[in-house]
Amino acid sequence: MTRDYKDNEFDVIIVGGGITGAGTARDCAMRGLRVLLIERHDIATGATGRNHGLLHSGARYAVTDRESATECIEENMILRRIARHCVDETEGFFITLPEDDLDYQKKFVESCLAAGISAEVIDPKDAIRMEPSINPEIIGAVKVPDGSVDPFRLCASNVMDAKLHGAKVLVYTEVTSFIKEGDTVKGVKVIDQKSGQSAEYYAPVTVNAGGIWGHNIAAMAGANIGMFPAKGALLIFAHRVNSIVINRCRKPANADILVPGDTVCVIGTTSTKVPFEECDNMHVTPDEVDLLLTEGAKLAPSLANTRILRAYAGVRPLVSADNDPSGRNISRGIVCLDHEKRDGIKGFISITGGKLMTYRLMAEQATDAVCLKLGIDKKCETATTPLPGSEGGKIEEVSKKIWANPTTPQKASVGRAGTTAAKIPLKDEYDQALVCECEEVSVGEVNSAIENLDVHNMVDLRRRTRVGMGTCQGELCACRAAGLLGKAKGCTEKAKKDLTDFMNERWKGMYPLAWGQTLREAEYTQWVYNYVLGLKGE
Amino acid sequence: MKFDTIIIGGGLAGLSAGLRLREKGQEVAIISSGENALHFSSGSFGVLNEGAAVPEGHPYTKLNLSKYLGEVIPFFGKHGVELHGDPMKNGWRLTPTGSLKEARFFMEETDILDKDEKIGEKALIVNFLGFMDFNTSFIADGLEKMGTAVRLEALRLSSMDRLRENPSEMRSVNIARVMDSSWSEIVAEIKKLLKDEDVIILPQVFGLKDTAVIKSIRDSFDVKVMFVGTMPPSVPGIRTQMQLKKAFESAGGTILMGDSVVSAKIDGGKVVSLKTKNLGDHDLFADTFILATGGYFSKGIAATPEKVFEPLFGLDVLFSEGRSSWYDPDFYSPQAFMDFGVATDGSFKALKDGEPICNLYAIGSVLGGSGALKLGCGAGVAILSALAVADSI
Repeated sequence: MTRDYKDNEFDVIIVGGGITGAGTARDCAMRGLRVLLIERHDIATGATGRNHGLLHSGARYAVTDRESATECIEENMILRRIARHCVDETEGFFITLPEDDLDYQKKFVESCLAAGISAEVIDPKDAIRMEPSINPEIIGAVKVPDGSVDPFRLCASNVMDAKLHGAKVLVYTEVTSFIKEGDTVKGVKVIDQKSGQSAEYYAPVTVNAGGIWGHNIAAMAGANIGMFPAKGALLIFAHRVNSIVINRCRKPANADILVPGDTVCVIGTTSTKVPFEECDNMHVTPDEVDLLLTEGAKLAPSLANTRILRAYAGVRPLVSADNDPSGRNISRGIVCLDHEKRDGIKGFISITGGKLMTYRLMAEQATDAVCLKLGIDKKCETATTPLPGSEGGKIEEVSKKIWANPTTPQKASVGRAGTTAAKIPLKDEYDQALVCECEEVSVGEVNSAIENLDVHNMVDLRRRTRVGMGTCQGELCACRAAGLLGKAKGCTEKAKKDLTDFMNERWKGMYPLAWGQTLREAEYTQWVYNYVLGLKGE
Repeated sequence: MKFDTIIIGGGLAGLSAGLRLREKGQEVAIISSGENALHFSSGSFGVLNEGAAVPEGHPYTKLNLSKYLGEVIPFFGKHGVELHGDPMKNGWRLTPTGSLKEARFFMEETDILDKDEKIGEKALIVNFLGFMDFNTSFIADGLEKMGTAVRLEALRLSSMDRLRENPSEMRSVNIARVMDSSWSEIVAEIKKLLKDEDVIILPQVFGLKDTAVIKSIRDSFDVKVMFVGTMPPSVPGIRTQMQLKKAFESAGGTILMGDSVVSAKIDGGKVVSLKTKNLGDHDLFADTFILATGGYFSKGIAATPEKVFEPLFGLDVLFSEGRSSWYDPDFYSPQAFMDFGVATDGSFKALKDGEPICNLYAIGSVLGGSGALKLGCGAGVAILSALAVADSI
């Protein structure tokens, strides 16, 4: 591009800092566009950070939705290459229980193979040997290339790379209205949530990547997308019970996927239609917890006796087909809408539907649409260019390339940051002192995240570093991290408020599970925070 | 083995009851699994928040409150734990987040302040470099709001170098262990730093063995030296627990450390004997049993998704029906589950199926309906119910 830009002028404005928006920002920036990414909260706060973290092989959709299945397996293979520091190549099983129909397995395997997904029937005895947590009653097992992916890390890496390619990123900034001239979107008016200041930004194209909130964003621009918020609840267990993903070999249903991730595992999901008003404040109900536990224990019986860390819920942005106003014909596929063709609104694109697994493809389609509008002919390179952190060889060997004799905190940082760990200050014992023992997060890693990764509060810090995600749910590390945050930002009062809010946010995921070990932990935390520390809520 | 009284639980309540019963010449055994609530003590004992009313059925309604409050300081003093404070009136302590919080009795290093007291004109807060469990800026923020100017310093002491080699060793108890022998190093360093400040603030990481170090540090300066709490573990709490345990043993009490009760035999409305993990088939017999097993954290009570229960004897537990009534979605609002616990009759005899077990008493945090956190009476209930029950045996 050879335009002269004012500070508030861009080629493209992307609204929404979930994985789709982050991926689109990266793709657009890599194709040479001047990009502005706007997010109302922190990055990865919506559905991006509220799912299984499953690196789908596509097998789950093979029977019911061939197109999605093919997209998944293709993106699965791409993510293994470009985001290796975010991916755990665990493999996956689809197990058949005595109550399931074993005939389904045959159809399942055929459908997988037709979609290009490798699917190998395994003797149940061998499957149990490979993954001892599996229900010993199984009558069938199929091995597929599932894995797990850290969505926070993936999203942060996309944002990081977008910025490295010149994108401007504004978090805690909300779009309040669109600037329109006739039927053309010329830009957006925003408000900075932190300062309360408003501002205007201009670009010939604006992309709506707001997930379920994209419904409202489109409405603000004058377009109607028939979206249906579908809540999915999940539980995190305090141990990595399984090391291979376990799925039920049947038509997709509730609570039939168990995914190992870092030191924990996640069971999910439920699926309930919810009103739009609830999307900003999802609560997991006791019934949902009971259902997840009952169904989860069928996959891995030991879950019944494993401590549960947290309950959480996300909202899938399901989109009904345009020719079906009833909403019955709901697709989980990618929906890329050019509102000029569809609604006569120029300069406005919505990218929605889809799933975490296909974010890159969604970003590619959205960026193609942007480039078409701008008359730019540049190829997408995101399928082959590694994300920051994933360049070079195997992740296990990265730490040795950075440090002669890597220590535990140094290795842990590489596990999270990949090759970008080289930039984290981890030289002396002060930097390497652990803030969070559960997740082995060091002072250096926390400071580096605060400095480089748009961290504004404790919850942001958790998403970047895993501080507070472990067994103690932040009880001990939160105070330490709040101290470092207060020091870095030079505001103790805000750090105190942050700590207060952080403990409330942790509690939100704990109280639906207020029995057993969770209640033990909760009693202890109540005493420490409300009595010993004398911290007061609002 | 046969005792007059067996106490299950070696926390504040269990040790207090054991000491009192030894004073009366009873043969007493305490079964203690190890850690207890003193390990996350605030360095003070709350009895009742100012203005709080004692609700019906509360443990305090079952004992002579003013009589026992007057006995606390002499009782602990006799057993080597010096407590300070006015038994009938709350004082305030400076918390690790720089606020003031009320309590009744204070351990040696915890200074007693008036409500809203300004601690001085200028404060020097000194920390150990890299010790993250003492947030000096939080304290400074609180003090500055009360009108005290604050200077922060972090010391790099060579005696800490070994701790630092391990990324998770810079914690309160480890530092206290080093400081027990090399406290004079920090005094010398602070003397170099001190300008015109009229108060010095240090973390509560001194005096793990005994309180002599605390006194020595205070005596080394002409200005006031205050010690403020850290994140757990609590050095004053652990010292207090160790001293009470030592006092109980030297008074001739038997303590079964690291052991826990696995089953109890109840016959004819009476507890007959206990089996423990370590003693296996060797039953423990006694005339009287005291349950001092604590709350959820200490496993004195436990919860399933449907109910809250007492795991050893299957005692009646006071709790509300329906899990969603157990908690408040706001972490800082009073939580109903914090008040659940064992039901007792008017003399602390534990109830089972609505009937008291005639030789089983419940004391301390295992008791239901005490509102320990809400009313600020956790330690008070532990100590006073222990003394009252011991006196009634």
